[in-house]
Amino acid sequence: MNALVRYVVRRILGTIPILLALTVIIFFLTRLIGDPASAYVTPQMGPAEIARIKEIYHFNDPIPTQYYHYMLGLLRGDWGYSRSQGIPVLAAIVSFLPATIELAVAAFLLSFFGGIALGTVSAVKRDRPIDHATRLFALGGYALPGFFLGLLLLYVFYTQLRWVGPGRLSDVVVLAEFPPGGGFQEYTGFLLLDSVLNGNGRVFVDAAVHLVLPAITLAAGSMALVTRVMRSSMLDVLGREYVRTARAKGLEESIVIRRHARRNALVPVTTVAGVYFGGLIGYAVMVELVFLWPGLGRWGARAALTLDHAAILGFALVVGMVYIVSNLVVDIAYAYLDPRIRIGRA
Amino acid sequence: MGAEPGVTVRLTRQDVLRRAVGRRLEEVRYYAHLFRRSPLGLAGLVIVVAFIGIALLAPLLAPANPIDPYLIPKTFITDPQPPSSEFVFGTGPFGTDIYYGVVWGTRISIRIAFTLVALSFLVGLVVGGVSGYLGGRIESVLMRVTDLFMSLPGLVLAMAVAAVLGRSIENLILALALVWWPSYARIMRGETLRVKHEGFVEAARALGVRPRAIVFRHIVPNAIGPLLVIATMDLGTTVLVASALSFIGLGAQPGTAEWGLMISDGRNWILDGRWWTVAFPGLAIFSFVLGWNLLGDSIRDLLDPKLRR
Repeated sequence: MNALVRYVVRRILGTIPILLALTVIIFFLTRLIGDPASAYVTPQMGPAEIARIKEIYHFNDPIPTQYYHYMLGLLRGDWGYSRSQGIPVLAAIVSFLPATIELAVAAFLLSFFGGIALGTVSAVKRDRPIDHATRLFALGGYALPGFFLGLLLLYVFYTQLRWVGPGRLSDVVVLAEFPPGGGFQEYTGFLLLDSVLNGNGRVFVDAAVHLVLPAITLAAGSMALVTRVMRSSMLDVLGREYVRTARAKGLEESIVIRRHARRNALVPVTTVAGVYFGGLIGYAVMVELVFLWPGLGRWGARAALTLDHAAILGFALVVGMVYIVSNLVVDIAYAYLDPRIRIGRA
Repeated sequence: MGAEPGVTVRLTRQDVLRRAVGRRLEEVRYYAHLFRRSPLGLAGLVIVVAFIGIALLAPLLAPANPIDPYLIPKTFITDPQPPSSEFVFGTGPFGTDIYYGVVWGTRISIRIAFTLVALSFLVGLVVGGVSGYLGGRIESVLMRVTDLFMSLPGLVLAMAVAAVLGRSIENLILALALVWWPSYARIMRGETLRVKHEGFVEAARALGVRPRAIVFRHIVPNAIGPLLVIATMDLGTTVLVASALSFIGLGAQPGTAEWGLMISDGRNWILDGRWWTVAFPGLAIFSFVLGWNLLGDSIRDLLDPKLRR
């Protein structure tokens, strides 16, 4: 256990230089273009006031000094001001992050368990029609651009069938349940969780229904990946001696598959899963744009298009943190499962 | 090298070359034989060849726009019109000819794919090869940088870089290359380390072959295989990611025949029932990516003797 603790501490400390490097890269990049002071200037200001703003925010200093002040601000909770959104960066992150996490977690669960199920079936029924169908899905799902799939789903389920529209909730529900019309309290920003806390079934159902299409869209690519990894890992395990032994001693096939084969085949899938969870947050940008999902990605895209300096930095930093932390969690889980990792050097 | 003791064999450079080429040709013929039995790989090859054909024949398939062939010509009807005999894929917003965009977009996609993969391949080859071959401090510095880039969210970094550089296809390629090379470098390093200690390299070194010749004649050709497989698959994946950035608005200039941009233009219209504005460029991306993936996938299976059945 001691080795594990040491491993965890070393890995957590190891993320600090990575995050620092991320801020350095993005900071110097954003300082190459435009005027960062523009976020604070309004048309009513005169030259004297603009000069004063540049002084307050250290925009006249050399860039390394500016970076130093930016980092000081980060630690103090002042992440700058998002011009495109009209609110401080940290406030924007707090209000947008829950929607993105909700989407990413739903997509993750879908792709992880869906991929495991498909991969298992495909391996067990090798070379049967269902295997061919699954392999075709695995290849096709990867090649389908998320934004294209999302628009197709919206076309079918919104334009044609009128079942569910874009956004996180229907307008009717928002008008009826949220202030001033209703008494819905947002505690966390996670709508599913908040509706449970409010005891509000109507919001829960509406939020869940709205989550389905974006989650499928975001999950498709990674589900294809999990399916592929699971299938090949399962095929590998099914050929091992212990599976043959289990069969030879007369165990039922379903028990052999569930207890002996699948459990061992899960290890490589878990590794892949952690790596792509971080990626999901990045790819959420496209899905959020398609589904008008009020999340981090849509804000980040707008920031990139309007060269909103502080927002680009804040966005990259938050996504980077989620990315790095999810990699870290997997590595730690892996070290916990497999002692060889923590004894050897990272 | 090939001379037997006591026999004077005059092998000219050409003879050596001819023998080497002959041996390689045999290998290629063997792999081609294996490849012919993989239906998915063949399907991939057909798709890829079809796209290359479309790109080459673009001026014949859709007469070039006299202003700039990569700008989609516009009609006077700004409301998207469904497919007709005049516009087989229909027209898009601002009266763009979707068929024209799909055809000329093939050239742009191929350009993005090949430039981006070539850049990443070259940088990865040099960085990975140098660190694997030289080792020591150079290796630890180069690999530290590689690991750093691999632990950052690539898409977001590319978004930021593309935004800073400004909206153009060249800048998009540059931004993506910045986050794409590390996986090549890492694989190249591993392969170089593996090959470096093989018998034939040791033998060449013992014979006094110059380091440069060892690297270019012995190490690189033998380490490059896995890189080529990934490159084949990446020819599709790069277009997938580039079109996503273009969809956001960080790629091609408005009006360009680029598939992601065309989908972005059509995205409000499809919800209005004009499915063709999105469907045709979307299918183009899908089949392009699928083609290269099928091809790359079956080449990988082919090179891996374990997977041969």
